[in-house]
Amino acid sequence: MSARLNRVRLRLRDLAAGAAFGSLVISWQLPSVLLLLAAAGFVLALFDRRPFGDRHLVGGVFLLLAGALCFGMVWKGPVDLVVGACCFATLLTLQRMLSAPGPAVDAQVNLASLLMVAGGGALSGDLLYAPMLALYAVFSILAMGLGVVSATVAPGTTFPLRRVLLPLSVGAGLAMVLGLTFFILFPRLSWNMAGGRVSTGLGPVTTGFSDQVRLGGSGSIKSNPRVVARVHLSPDPGDEALNRYWIGRTYDTFDGVRWTAQRTPVETEGQIRLSHGGDRLIHQEIELLPAYGARTALALEAPSLFGGAVANTHKGRRRTRMQRLENGEIRFEREAPGYDYHAYSLPADVTREVPALTTGDLDRARSLPADLDPRIPALAQRLLAGEQDPLRAAERLARHLSTRFRYSMELPGEHPDALSHFLFERQEGHCEHFATALTVLLRTQGIPARLATGFFGGERLGDDYILRAGDAHAWTQVLVPGRGWVSVDATPPAFRSAQPEPFLTWLVDRYEALEERWRNSVVDYDIRDQWAFLSGMLSDRERHDVLAGEVVEARPRRALGMGLGAFFGVLLLGWILERRVRRPRSDPATRFHHRLRRTVQRDPTIGAGLARGVPIEELARRLRQTDHPAATPLDDAVRRYLEARFGSRPLGAREASQLLQRLRSALGTAARSS
Amino acid sequence: MSSPAVSAPSPAFGQRLWARLRRPDWPRRLKVTGTGRTYLMVTLGVGIGALNTGNNLLYLLLGLLLGVIVLSGLLSERVLRGLHVERVGADALHAREPGTFRWRLSRERGHAFAIEVREVHAELTGRATAAILGPGRSHVLRGQVTAPRRGPLVLEAVDVSTTWPFGLFAKSRRFPIPGEVLVLPARIRVRGEVPRAHQGLAGEDGRARFQDGEGDLAGLRELADGEDARRIHWLKSASSQKLVRAERDREERQTVELVLETGPSRAALDRRCEELAAQARTLMARGIEVGLTVGPVRLRPSIGPAHLRRLLTALARAGFSTPPVTREVA
Repeated sequence: MSARLNRVRLRLRDLAAGAAFGSLVISWQLPSVLLLLAAAGFVLALFDRRPFGDRHLVGGVFLLLAGALCFGMVWKGPVDLVVGACCFATLLTLQRMLSAPGPAVDAQVNLASLLMVAGGGALSGDLLYAPMLALYAVFSILAMGLGVVSATVAPGTTFPLRRVLLPLSVGAGLAMVLGLTFFILFPRLSWNMAGGRVSTGLGPVTTGFSDQVRLGGSGSIKSNPRVVARVHLSPDPGDEALNRYWIGRTYDTFDGVRWTAQRTPVETEGQIRLSHGGDRLIHQEIELLPAYGARTALALEAPSLFGGAVANTHKGRRRTRMQRLENGEIRFEREAPGYDYHAYSLPADVTREVPALTTGDLDRARSLPADLDPRIPALAQRLLAGEQDPLRAAERLARHLSTRFRYSMELPGEHPDALSHFLFERQEGHCEHFATALTVLLRTQGIPARLATGFFGGERLGDDYILRAGDAHAWTQVLVPGRGWVSVDATPPAFRSAQPEPFLTWLVDRYEALEERWRNSVVDYDIRDQWAFLSGMLSDRERHDVLAGEVVEARPRRALGMGLGAFFGVLLLGWILERRVRRPRSDPATRFHHRLRRTVQRDPTIGAGLARGVPIEELARRLRQTDHPAATPLDDAVRRYLEARFGSRPLGAREASQLLQRLRSALGTAARSS
Repeated sequence: MSSPAVSAPSPAFGQRLWARLRRPDWPRRLKVTGTGRTYLMVTLGVGIGALNTGNNLLYLLLGLLLGVIVLSGLLSERVLRGLHVERVGADALHAREPGTFRWRLSRERGHAFAIEVREVHAELTGRATAAILGPGRSHVLRGQVTAPRRGPLVLEAVDVSTTWPFGLFAKSRRFPIPGEVLVLPARIRVRGEVPRAHQGLAGEDGRARFQDGEGDLAGLRELADGEDARRIHWLKSASSQKLVRAERDREERQTVELVLETGPSRAALDRRCEELAAQARTLMARGIEVGLTVGPVRLRPSIGPAHLRRLLTALARAGFSTPPVTREVA
């Protein structure tokens, strides 16, 4: 068997296994130990180090241990059955891959890799699964094809690898086209209930709510352009930039360094009503993406009703109830990477009914750290100058902070009294500093206030609004008699929403758009889409908007024609390419002959003498008889052509060029002299 | 004047299709390999998983797996289509012993990969393989085949199969090529004593001087009409300007006449043929000329590979009625 063929085949086989492993890795559900072990194994295999070799006993013991380990993990509960099976498939692939190669072992590696890819499909709905699957398909098809050929190659013979790689590559492309066709047309007999609806996308989560807010430190979240939520608003405000507060969680206890809250669940229902809002509520259809990374529900200020929550788990979509916590936060009962739910909020101009606060709540909303810097109440007193109205006081303080203090994310080092340091020394900070300062300043004057966290912004994308990780924000809520908690923001307006890098934003937007298309077209593809696709292909009916009386969607019959045209176009292209590839190349001597004739024919003095059908030897003879300056170089070139064509004396490219160059020079000299 | 041709109405397309589908000799045969069986099981598993859960990524994978199966059929068909096969045969094929058998394959265009060729005959086992067949030239494939018994084997077809491209299925195409391969008696050791040789002078019988042997030079004389030109002594002929022939002493010759008795059972006849073949081989190796009588057929005593081949052929055919041989390939 050709050594090169064998080497390439093994490399492709191992790369296919690597791609299959990658399809599992992107689900981020495999144990870290396994990831490290498998990565090391793949590196060893790529360097052709196969420690198991022919040691079947060692390999068997390894598999037994692997099986026991996976069973133990499933039994004890850290992983579920599917993940456990995927772990075992990974270890099986690893063991086979690091054993001595052979036809049976190759087939086992390919099939174990296939199990990994299937596991990846069951565990992940990530966009990255697509390239992993494509890579696996290409590598495994090439490896299997080379495996079949290598079984018939006689020992010690060389094999033209390119000859076989070309049809296999075309075959890989064709297999993917066929795969897509099957995917579109294969009848969906069940609803997509267990599809991997969620994906971690571009790495781990970027926002999330913690149990506490700690002042200090630097960060880069404001520049993070990842989309964490998509919202469809009804009625649609139509603004490009919504610039609204999306509240998630509030904190009422501050100890000088960190904010905490009472987070005991007080109510768990499928639908949670916070207030009655009448008929002008803003309906929000919200999708929290895995980049969001928390169980806290978001809603436009001021939320009135939450419900219809669905958790997008790795095993599919599951209904989940919602919980109302003591601090007013709404969260999902089931933990999942993503959620879909509905929320209703009051418009800004509507006064909401105010739930009565308990004495404890009021006390916490006025409480101050025990060792509060005395300069802070003095500052509040000086700035307010006797202002007693909570809202006006808050707005006055907020105006002072937002105009006199600078916004900065670069806050190196920890300070024991971060608030005083912000107010009296550094005078720059981020939204948490501004919000904390305003809240504490208000509390020093006996005005109940609390810290609210969530998002500020809302960027138009199609018919929806998106929230980016950089929109994460903190602000103050002040208790206004008769109106309840009212948001007041001390952060300079320019720094409330995301501040992403334009290029990074563009890049992430493209990825997010691609991911959305992937989810809509692939992950969420179901029998309705299938029916719509088929009816669109076969029917030329137009869909009318009954109310508006307009044609909103036309499905002309040309879609079918275009599809067929594309199909036959691909076939035609393949046929042309095949003909081009398979067309035998003329030998170097013949090519030299053609170049020689062209060179002579271009010459104005003797070119006419080399008409079609006249041998170039004849022209050379005539030039010799007339003592033409180009006779000798033409003679040499013709002689070399004849030797190369019929005398088995090869003509190199360099020599051919030199001969032609000499001829051109001689022809040029002759033309100048004439 | 020619009368107008009357042709029968051609059957409808459906009838033709049905007739084609019902053909017992379907032009392609498909066999699932071991790897293919596992692959199909995994595909089935992925399909059930996809149907059960509705997971579209599993549907995507299922589509790819089904695509690979379809592609497998398309690419293997490309390999088998446009293939020309010719049976070259074997030089000498002995019973119960692997012998080299040859087939000539060619394609007009496109490459073929992972080709396997074998004869469609229950008693002729063995195959030849080729990793790649280029277009535009013929390739002779050599394979080791084995036949269990001596005698002529009537060949009907050659099977060309391929596991290209993925080794999941072995698709084969049958080329009907009638022919015959003659399996010579098995090569065995001589059992017991070889027959005693008859001793006498060798040479051209019927000549007066009996000086036509292969021994020492006995004399020179002018070549007479009708005499063998191979006896001409060219050096002397050139110097004397006339054709001169050499006369050589006749040598002692040892001959053995082997006789195959007809009539015993097929197994006994096979054994006897093998024994006679072994004896002939041994005797010839000792320089003894061997003749053979098989029923009405008599081969005169002689020696050499060609004569041995004649003997073995006669022994191989002994007991078989002569078939209508289209082309003997061995």
